[in-house]
Amino acid sequence: MTASGRTERSVEAREIADVVGAIDRTWFGAAFAPETQARLAALARIVEAPPGTRLLREGEETEDVSIVLAGRVALRMHVPERGVVTILTVEEGDLLGWSALVPPHTATSEATAVEHVRLLSFNGAELRAALRADHALAASVYPRVLQAVARRLSATRLQLLDLFAAERSTSERTPW
Amino acid sequence: MKSEPAEPLASEATARGGPWFLLRANLQVLIDELRADGRRVIGPTVADGAIVYDEITSADELPRGWGDEQGPGSYRLRQRDDERLFGYNAGPTSWKRFTFPAVVPLTIGRRDGRDVSFEAAAADRPRLAFLGVRGCELAALGIQDKVFTGGPFADEDYRARRAAAFVVAVNCTTASSTCFCTSMGTGPAVGPGHDLVLTEIDEGFVIRAGSVEGVDLLARLPVRLADAMEIFRASKAVEDVATEIGDPVATTGLHDRLLAQFDSPEWARVAERCLSCTNCTMVCPTCFCSSVVQRSDLDGQVSTSERVWDSCFTAGFAKVAGGNFRSRPRDRYRQWLTHKFATWVDQFGSFGCVGCGRCIAWCPVGIDVRAELQAIAPPLELHSEPATLPPAAATPGDFSTARVAAVRHETADVRTLVMRDVDPAFLAGRPGQFAMIALPAYPPLPISISRFREDAIELTIRAAGPATAAITGLGIGDGLGLRGPLGTSWPLEQAAGRDVVFVTGGIGLAPLRPLVDAVRAQRDRFGAVRVFYGARTPADMLYREELDSWAAEDGIELALTVDRADESWNGPVGVVTHLFDRATWDGSRAVAFVCGPERMMQATADALAARGLTADRVFVTLERHMECGIGLCGHCQMGRYFVCRDGPVFSLAELGDVFGREGI
Repeated sequence: MTASGRTERSVEAREIADVVGAIDRTWFGAAFAPETQARLAALARIVEAPPGTRLLREGEETEDVSIVLAGRVALRMHVPERGVVTILTVEEGDLLGWSALVPPHTATSEATAVEHVRLLSFNGAELRAALRADHALAASVYPRVLQAVARRLSATRLQLLDLFAAERSTSERTPW
Repeated sequence: MKSEPAEPLASEATARGGPWFLLRANLQVLIDELRADGRRVIGPTVADGAIVYDEITSADELPRGWGDEQGPGSYRLRQRDDERLFGYNAGPTSWKRFTFPAVVPLTIGRRDGRDVSFEAAAADRPRLAFLGVRGCELAALGIQDKVFTGGPFADEDYRARRAAAFVVAVNCTTASSTCFCTSMGTGPAVGPGHDLVLTEIDEGFVIRAGSVEGVDLLARLPVRLADAMEIFRASKAVEDVATEIGDPVATTGLHDRLLAQFDSPEWARVAERCLSCTNCTMVCPTCFCSSVVQRSDLDGQVSTSERVWDSCFTAGFAKVAGGNFRSRPRDRYRQWLTHKFATWVDQFGSFGCVGCGRCIAWCPVGIDVRAELQAIAPPLELHSEPATLPPAAATPGDFSTARVAAVRHETADVRTLVMRDVDPAFLAGRPGQFAMIALPAYPPLPISISRFREDAIELTIRAAGPATAAITGLGIGDGLGLRGPLGTSWPLEQAAGRDVVFVTGGIGLAPLRPLVDAVRAQRDRFGAVRVFYGARTPADMLYREELDSWAAEDGIELALTVDRADESWNGPVGVVTHLFDRATWDGSRAVAFVCGPERMMQATADALAARGLTADRVFVTLERHMECGIGLCGHCQMGRYFVCRDGPVFSLAELGDVFGREGI
């Protein structure tokens, strides 16, 4: 699948060391053992997408799980009569498309590049197969994925509290 | 009706203080002599079914032959079968009514066109004599002396009233079932601090002097030397009372025991009965919380601010514009009890309770503080060490005035006022300090100073209610009352040579901005400087036009995020911690300064800890309800701290586990 202006290519053998280095510089991949990083690098594709590229569509199958190497992707949801609401943005080091690893493998929001984006992408089906076959790889990757999702959950809860709105006014009258 | 002391002996020359003996019939002479000294005599008298303290001119007004029966939630007068004048126990009034009156006028504020002015209100402070001060009550006066005059800031009204009071104390020869002075070390024998002390026996009083003024007065009374039997009967009566009371409250280790019970289920249990009626704090002789209220004429041109009694049990006591720190009765009961028996020790070196039992008798539902202490913090062997308080800023004067020189619209409801003609003390203020600001007819409120300039300060204020709406509505040339600078400042020196992290949200950037200014001014002294700033929407960000220059001119990494945005915003969306959750920088060399809603600061503290920032290198500034700004009114208390005086800037290590705890 290629959207307008989106390009993707496999990692060439001579690039593996560079890709391992890129994984090692991200929050997601820094703690992995070198062999895990190398294994992931071998499965990876480099995806480039200009601003405006729709990378995921809410409710559709998530084909890829990616580590953002550069740029910013907005996770958005459409609310009738309210329009498009940006819930979160993901940037360098963040995980994009975790739903590719979690049944039913459908995207939980729309994802749109708001800047030129460079991703290290893994085909969901291929990565799942690799994780099923290699328990050591799975034991490294899954906790990190879970941690990324848990952080999103915590952050969303904080957002839900709408703390700065409470700062502004209260339901009760105050003299100040 | 004066007479010389009988049989003055050489052996008494060094002991003019006594013990002497005064016939009950001659107590009137004492009252007359006190009045002859120009004093109003305040003493016990029967009114409204209780023995209260009020002005008396005659010994006939004393509660001759009256006693009382007290228990949890109960107080009844009963007729004694003797002629005792002091045969009763502590009643609903305490002497603080006269040293710390329920209403004291402070200042008169006037608004005349664009000018504002503040002048001290005249206070009536008569010379008083207190007749019948018990041991527990004298200890209570001593405790309030420490609260109001023993710290870095003093309440001058209290000091003047207290200095003008002559104290005739009375050793207790009777006790009620609610008494526990013996446990608190305050009675039944009177301690130091009195001018005269009486012990009542059948025919009259054994009387001693405790001060030079007491010796002088004693010389004018018709007394004779007390005989050995009188002295014995007097001391025996007091000893018997001590035995009768026993030791109902185990105070050893109480401080630590109570502070270990923040999460006890007993708080909720006692709160099921507690009505939050404030009776306990009104009758308490040491409770000192107050508020400043405005009594304004109808058009708001002239207003008198008054200091009035308040209570940590009132629903709004710990309320700020964004919420209420102690919304539940259990939080308020815990605040009261832990203050009286634990954090008071840290703050003032003694318990805040003298064991008078008033709170037990006058609690409408009969909550007995002795039983609650036993249930919540049962005795065990521990030793408590009073903590030392951090240094506080210098004593401020009353409101000075300043003028608005410029107004900047930061967001729809936030304005920055540039204030000129400020008291020079403000220009020497430090980042993190705040000012109490006031317009006549509105309550004063604490506002962080958002920039220090050579000849001005800036105040960034959100219109959240009537007072802030009026202040943000001021125009160029308008006057405003200021007190300060107050509170502690950000400890920037601790960041020298290190990386610096600022994490802030909403209007929380305002108290940090002077610190960012200081870092920018000496940029070479710090390593990497990162600012993480979150707002609700892009339109809610403060100081937009200058934020970019921080990054461009001073090598500061600036990351902005918003909680919600439409498609026009291409920057990050998410909570502020999301900005550095995914980062890989090492925080083990960094110092962090954090300001925002408390819940946000907690999440930030966790995220910073994950980056290697230990609690001693993370500094936060707290928001609390403040009325006085100098640690005297009690509103902003948080554990052993008064946030206005000991803070508002604290390290997480200082705050310990009270930070982020509900209901503190």
